Amino acid sequence: MSYCLKWKFKHFMANLRKIFSQIYDRYIDKIYRFIFLKVNSQEIAQDLTSETFLKTWEKFKQSNPIENPQAFLYQTARNLVIDHYREKGKAHIVSTEFAPIIDPREDLEEKTLSRSDLDTVKLALKNLKEDYQNVIIWHYLDDLPIQEVAKMVDKSEETTRVLLSRALKALRNELNQTVKEV
Amino acid sequence: MTEQELIKTIRELKHIQPSQDWVSLTKAQILGTSTELSASKEGKLDNIISVFRVFFLRPAYISVLSIFVVLGLWTSSQNSLPGDPLYLIKKLTEKGQAVFVSEQNLPKVQLEYANKRLAELNTIAQTNQVKKLAPALEEFQTNISKAAKELVKAKNPDVKEIVSETKKIKENKEKVESLGVVVGDTNELDSALLQLIEREIKDLEVSTLTDAQKEIFVKAVEDFKTGNYSEALEEIWLLSNNK
Repeated sequence: MSYCLKWKFKHFMANLRKIFSQIYDRYIDKIYRFIFLKVNSQEIAQDLTSETFLKTWEKFKQSNPIENPQAFLYQTARNLVIDHYREKGKAHIVSTEFAPIIDPREDLEEKTLSRSDLDTVKLALKNLKEDYQNVIIWHYLDDLPIQEVAKMVDKSEETTRVLLSRALKALRNELNQTVKEV
Repeated sequence: MTEQELIKTIRELKHIQPSQDWVSLTKAQILGTSTELSASKEGKLDNIISVFRVFFLRPAYISVLSIFVVLGLWTSSQNSLPGDPLYLIKKLTEKGQAVFVSEQNLPKVQLEYANKRLAELNTIAQTNQVKKLAPALEEFQTNISKAAKELVKAKNPDVKEIVSETKKIKENKEKVESLGVVVGDTNELDSALLQLIEREIKDLEVSTLTDAQKEIFVKAVEDFKTGNYSEALEEIWLLSNNK
């Protein structure tokens, strides 16, 4: 490879790194949370999040630009979570006690009460079917508008609204069920 | 729990965040040890190297580079002084310019160069660059000698310009000498001017002059006899122009 070509390649790679670095900074928290809420383990969430970004980076290098990096990241994360459960032969077993939520609030009483609520919601969310989990996370946690959620689930906006409504209803039922069990 | 309370509680799950240390470490691992910052630094270094390499790899750029180098050297050399490494370029430039000057204008050009040498001597004396004094004096004498030779050779020199330049030489020489530098005599130039004035006086003797012109002519002859060649030459130029 001539020096000029080598230099162009290096320059090209430096630009790719720069673009991907921005994508990483923008989505790392969301993807980590998305995975964490499904696996309920900090260690596994970290592993799967790393793998998600590594796979996306490999794809990004081969076919830059990825048309929708956000959709690609979520799809990769979903596949990895599915593979994780498939490989380990695990059911969606809840282990929230090993996955504490970082909570910035200082008031201990409020924190304790709220932690209890949060853990319950987390537990209930984890027990929902995947479609319901996804639409709730994307719309209420990642603040994606209905149009984008609709694209992610490959459904019409109206169907997505209905799906979201059913997901909330299912979550409420799950919460009631969890509270009764506790 | 109402729907609003449920949504509010869901939103509180936003507090789930990875540790910043892990985020940074993972980023470095995925993108290689070189993050975008070091990659851009590397890119900048490569940029600089490539600018120079391009000149060596592409013959078309060699001429461009040569032009820049020559222009740079030439510009720097124009302010150089005798004894400086770039002074040779200045002298070569002057020699090159002299090649394209007509024989009639050569005395004037050489006198201009002699004036430049005096200006250089002035700078050297003012900045107390003692080492450069000897070569500068030698350069001045060489130029004066060349100017004298061209003056003798020239059949029909431009008297007006010669008057102007010789007056400047006289003034500049006085300036330099006032700084304590002994420039030395300009016998060769005086001798050449003497020959020129003699030729002009002979021409004027056989010419028809008005009373006023005759007066100037008498004064020119007197200046010539007393050795005031610059003044004599100036008067001759006045007569030549008003004939």
